[in-house]
Amino acid sequence: MNYPVWDVPILGSAWVIGIIAIFHVMISHFAVGGGFYLPMAERKALRDGSGEWLTAIRAHSKFFLVLTTSFGAVSGVGIWFAIGLASPESTSTLIHNFVFGWAMEWCFFLVEISTALVYYYTWGRVSDRLHLRLGWIYAGTSWCTLVIINGILTFMLTPGSAWLAVAGTGQEASRFWSAFFNPTYWPSLVLRTLVCLALAGVWALITASRINGFEHPRLKTEWISWSARWLVPAFLLMPLALVWYLASVPESSRHLMQAGISTIGSGVFTQITRAALVTVMTSATILAVVYFLAIRNPRDFGFGHGVAVLVLALCATGATEHAREMIRKPYTIGQHMYSNGVRRSDVARLNEVGYAASSPWRDSQMETGEMMFRGQCMNCHTVDGYRSMRKLLEGHDREAIARIVNLLHQAPADSPYRNFMPPVVGTPAEVNALVGYLDRTVNGTKAGPSAPESLTKKYSRASPALGLPMTAAANQPDR
Amino acid sequence: MGTLLYPEPKTKPGLYDWLDERLGISDVIALAKHKTVPQHRHSFWYYWGGLSLFFFIIQLFTGILLLVYFRPGKDAYDSVRQITYDIDFGWLIRSVHSWSANLMVFAVCVHMFSAFFMKAYQKPREFAWWSGLVLLLLTLVFGFSGYLLPMDELSFVATKIGLQFSNMIPVVGPVLADLIRGGPQVSPDTVQRFFALHVVVLPLLFLPLLMFHLFLVQKHGNASPPGEESRPASEKQTMPFFPNFFAMDLGMWLIALNVITILATLFPWDLGPQADPLASAPNGIHPEWYFMPPFHLLKIIGRFVPGVTGELLGMGLFAAVLIFWTLVPLFDPKGKAGRAGRFVTWGGVLVLSGMILLIALGYADLGYTHL
Repeated sequence: MNYPVWDVPILGSAWVIGIIAIFHVMISHFAVGGGFYLPMAERKALRDGSGEWLTAIRAHSKFFLVLTTSFGAVSGVGIWFAIGLASPESTSTLIHNFVFGWAMEWCFFLVEISTALVYYYTWGRVSDRLHLRLGWIYAGTSWCTLVIINGILTFMLTPGSAWLAVAGTGQEASRFWSAFFNPTYWPSLVLRTLVCLALAGVWALITASRINGFEHPRLKTEWISWSARWLVPAFLLMPLALVWYLASVPESSRHLMQAGISTIGSGVFTQITRAALVTVMTSATILAVVYFLAIRNPRDFGFGHGVAVLVLALCATGATEHAREMIRKPYTIGQHMYSNGVRRSDVARLNEVGYAASSPWRDSQMETGEMMFRGQCMNCHTVDGYRSMRKLLEGHDREAIARIVNLLHQAPADSPYRNFMPPVVGTPAEVNALVGYLDRTVNGTKAGPSAPESLTKKYSRASPALGLPMTAAANQPDR
Repeated sequence: MGTLLYPEPKTKPGLYDWLDERLGISDVIALAKHKTVPQHRHSFWYYWGGLSLFFFIIQLFTGILLLVYFRPGKDAYDSVRQITYDIDFGWLIRSVHSWSANLMVFAVCVHMFSAFFMKAYQKPREFAWWSGLVLLLLTLVFGFSGYLLPMDELSFVATKIGLQFSNMIPVVGPVLADLIRGGPQVSPDTVQRFFALHVVVLPLLFLPLLMFHLFLVQKHGNASPPGEESRPASEKQTMPFFPNFFAMDLGMWLIALNVITILATLFPWDLGPQADPLASAPNGIHPEWYFMPPFHLLKIIGRFVPGVTGELLGMGLFAAVLIFWTLVPLFDPKGKAGRAGRFVTWGGVLVLSGMILLIALGYADLGYTHL
């Protein structure tokens, strides 16, 4: 616990990141895909000699500029603030390893933003050839930002054996490139590029849908049909890219993805399967709507249809990003750092010297149990809201809570929690204090004597509190 | 001998022609094309009948799949536990079935109130109104009978309370309740009876009545609200039912399918602890939202007029509303605009707002575990 804890009641700090990130992905991927869309559309208009098209694309480039440089940029900074507060330890590790990568990304970003502004403000002021070149410069630099960020994002799921071999030695940055081009880098880059192209089409449908089909039938028909085709590569190639991606993720992550096929009861992580189902359903609907309305009947494609496709795309993006984040559990950096910021290599030491005891943020006013809860549980749980501890432990007395906490502390090989929850670290006294805190929080009992020593050493059986499939009553759905 | 200068081109009959010759598909399409749907600012409400049908189709489909694994009687709880926690995608089928059931009741209610306020019960649509009311009643019985089948704590207690409602009907009430329960208490025998009702009796009643209702809708077309009806013919706009409105209907079905998927995956239907007849009812027991208005009304009346008198008063009030609702085509016939028509419309507003208010008050006052 090297940093103070950011307490976000009800929602939980992770969801603050999640909400900002889902909207940011929608915009930032549009910024990349739209980078290719604009010069391609402009080239088509110039070749066809269509002044109507050029006027329409100019209007679309204004919408593009405003959306990507205001909301896109602001939400990107928002993610930095949120991850810095919610997961400072992970953010610190990423910065220490990828500071050079981010420096490159910021250079590309600077060129990207500048070119976007120049591209818009030079419509009709420079030669067509030069204007088109500006568009391609924008496309290249914006795709390069994705190329770099993709390396950092995929590193968090699969850092790779070369980087893991030096993790915690202070030599991590020496394996920059092997960490960057990690096992999931290429399939993820293909997937994200396809999503970028599809989102370019989706956002263009919004602009094109506002054209009056009766006043400009040809423009509307051509533009809607042309924009709708930007979704075709994604629908044809994404299933293949997804299979490639899933083949590259660790076996444990694939296992997590399948956890929810047969049950809603195996703790919170059956959510991943359900999120994947939402992705499939919404993607299939986008395909149907785009085919039947935009491709078969482009003139009647209205603003409402465009917004419907956008909302569906938002649902698909949100569900997919949520699933991608969740398959990383119990880590924020695979095999290295748990989701509560504890390094895997530090577990034995913290069990020896103590978790709260070794924290520079020790608050003398706060009792150890609460400090343990805030430091080790609150990254994923809240008291009363998202993944509520009060709800998850409802009906459990102190003895039952102690069994669960000690099972999490000892994390034996056959523990079902091992696959998705970090071990509880700390000395027996600290673990006992956490049990006491949870007991008081859930059962409202006053601080009393500690649980029997035997409970801190042995666990008799798995408790159903976190959804282990033991009895029907124990199987609570993921909320 | 004459020569045929322009012989008829011989085209090979395709599969469609082959089927059409035998099944008369063209006649059905011609019938569908014959119907037009009025287009005006209230046209949105025409989709709700189609949505109700869509939810019913989902119920049929998922119900058949659940039937494969569900075991009525003593094993009911265990079989639902298996469906929810063991069988691949069993939870999804069950969740879709439960969510779709709720959405179906909601869609049917919206459809009924929109038909009411458009005065779609007037000549010549009286039988469409009455068949629709019976379909709504059967939908509610579907909901009530299906709710018990998992036999968990919540469904057990809610059914127990629900059958007390039937007990209040004078003279026949207790006999009827015993007959439905299969004894003095809710037991595995009740599940057996509810199961037979849910999967055999109700579909046998529902399907032919639904066909009758759809036939009448096809025959008489959609009613326009009185304001639109009074416009001159030149100002009235319509849309062919097939393929135009049908395509829009399909679009609404697609939206509904996405809503169900998102609800079923993000909020899967849970299974509570197994019902224990000897245990006291847990806190927060309440009927499904669509049964909340009568229950909460009885509770409110019970506060002011306790005992049998209160129950009789409540039941009497219900009966009066039901009679008013059923006989409305008779005392608000077509062509009799004026005070009667306005009285009926305000009566509808009162019933609708009363229902919404009672549902809201019922949920705000979930303390009443025991009726």
